[in-house]
Amino acid sequence: MALLRHSSRTRRRDATDTRMWTWFMLPGTLWMTGFLIASLVLVAVLAVGTTDDLGNPRFGFDLSGVRALADPAYTEVLVRSLGYALLTCAICLLIAYPVAYTIALHGGRYKHALIAAIVVPFFANYLVRMYGWSVVLSDDGPVLRALRAVGLADGNTKILNTGVGVVAGLVYGFVVFMIIPLYAALERLDVSLIEAGRDLYGGPVRTFFYVTLPATRQGAAAGLVLVFLPAMGDFVSAQLMGGPDQIMIGNLIQDKFFQGQNWPLGSALTMLLMLVLLIGMFGYLRRTRKDEAEARR
Amino acid sequence: MSPEVPPPTRRAVLRAGACGLLGAAAGGCGFMPAKTPDAQQLAPVKARVDGDLVYFNWADYVDPSVFKGFEKEYGVKVVQSNFDSMEGMVAKLNAGNRYDVIFPSAKWAQRLVRGGRLRRIDHSQLPHAHAVFGTYTYFADPWYDPGSAHTVPFTAYKTGIGWRRDRIGELTGSWKDLWSDKARGKVFLLDDRDEVLGMGALELGLGVSTGDAGDLDRITTLLSTLRPRLRGFSSDSYNNLLNGNAVMTQAWSGDMAAMLNQAKDPSVFGFEAPREGTPINSDCYAIPWNAPHPGTAMLFIDYMLRPENVKKNIEYIGYPMPVAGTEKTYAELVKPFPECLVTQDDLKAGLFFRNGGRAAEDARDTAWTHVKAG
Repeated sequence: MALLRHSSRTRRRDATDTRMWTWFMLPGTLWMTGFLIASLVLVAVLAVGTTDDLGNPRFGFDLSGVRALADPAYTEVLVRSLGYALLTCAICLLIAYPVAYTIALHGGRYKHALIAAIVVPFFANYLVRMYGWSVVLSDDGPVLRALRAVGLADGNTKILNTGVGVVAGLVYGFVVFMIIPLYAALERLDVSLIEAGRDLYGGPVRTFFYVTLPATRQGAAAGLVLVFLPAMGDFVSAQLMGGPDQIMIGNLIQDKFFQGQNWPLGSALTMLLMLVLLIGMFGYLRRTRKDEAEARR
Repeated sequence: MSPEVPPPTRRAVLRAGACGLLGAAAGGCGFMPAKTPDAQQLAPVKARVDGDLVYFNWADYVDPSVFKGFEKEYGVKVVQSNFDSMEGMVAKLNAGNRYDVIFPSAKWAQRLVRGGRLRRIDHSQLPHAHAVFGTYTYFADPWYDPGSAHTVPFTAYKTGIGWRRDRIGELTGSWKDLWSDKARGKVFLLDDRDEVLGMGALELGLGVSTGDAGDLDRITTLLSTLRPRLRGFSSDSYNNLLNGNAVMTQAWSGDMAAMLNQAKDPSVFGFEAPREGTPINSDCYAIPWNAPHPGTAMLFIDYMLRPENVKKNIEYIGYPMPVAGTEKTYAELVKPFPECLVTQDDLKAGLFFRNGGRAAEDARDTAWTHVKAG
């Protein structure tokens, strides 16, 4: 009897908890609905709208913006952006994994300080940091000067205004988004698993690939999504670090809204970009759902 | 501002940068039905203090000491905000933001006047306006605002080629110089649709604002031959020249003049205004219809036209201003680059970027995509 009463009280508290959390979620939900969903709907509607003489977007039904997407120039730029974003993801993973691993498993009492050292510079304005980065990579900048000094570059080698420059900018800009989720995953990693791997005669390499990596793949997946989404839509890196052959889809969208004031085409391009991103997002969600289902079993 | 700190470029890269996001957000408000101004909101007002001045311009486009003088003399504050593109400025206006004085370029002034967005300006309320309209007759009745009824010119400038004398020697004074093999791989074009298409048009002898599909095809074909020599599209002309990333770049005259303050040795740089013609542009003062303090704005415009303030501003931003008696100041400033000067003949050549109809604008937009994306 006592047991029964106890459990019913617990259930009641659960219910109150849930109701409280519902209230807590309300502002966020309203915010998202008002500013994210509503603006997305506006973008979708504007893709078939028009622009008036003063550059004001106007509702209407005009398919010229959507039809203009057939121009092969957009496909080419979209594929290029996709390539840069994927390459950025791969490089970020290669850089971030060892960093997160070292901090999480060997950081000791400096762990939090090290993470702060990585995150704090990130608070500085993205544009300003990218500007700085473009100076670092410029022809007379420290990177090329150092490379020339050791004979790895000659007077004609360029980084700025090349694809290498753009990807370098994207990696520099977004690598933190990979480090943080990986660090979180490695932090939670049960080290006894690694010990168990060793006990079962796994060398460090095999232990890493059979134990550590699979156990942290959710962190990696989250990091990949967090890097891929902004990298795909970025326009600052191509603007500051790219040349004429490195224009990304974000640059074209920006031009449509600003220089051309062709809002319908800009909106149509935005929707196209979102479609591509949603495919990536969908893959991620399916993957994590499968992982969760496995974990439950 | 101390002399060793150079004035930043007005249209520096920021215009293309992150602010795009902000502008897009502000622009979203353009969906709201725009209020139509009534006759009273468009009527000229007397120049008198009716509140603090809400000022909206490119960043760093006026000498700060000029603001201080204005605040002191009239006992008002100058509340500043900045835009980084004409489109961003108009989006803010469309969204219902209220400013007392704005600085549209000629093309945009025309659009704002046509859209009934600017209050008329009574020149008799501006004692110093005579120095502009009396001498620079072009501005007494400019194409973008008949009779200068809603605007007063602020600056005038042209677009030419800036280059590194020390790297490639002398140029020939033609837009063809951009194709020079000596500069191969180190040529920049402005990241600006009108300027780039306009340059191609001038090289082919076409109108700078053409929206004709055949003309635009010829322009994109011509510019595609320049592409392999290009290093990029950037409006940060003078930094590109200074740090050596560019040996040649399309550049606004004012930015090149501003660079003179910053270069250790200006003689290594050059600026030419190609003989095929150079696009001309002008920024003006204007008062939006919904300005909260139009009287203070009138006082401010007149204050800005006082010769001593014009001189300060010219030296600060490097752009010439059509105000009688200040020509010497500018000529002195750009001694190394005399082609920065904008003469009355330059203005009359009519090489301003004009507004086209929707179809023409869309055609130019498509051409720009092809020039940029290749």
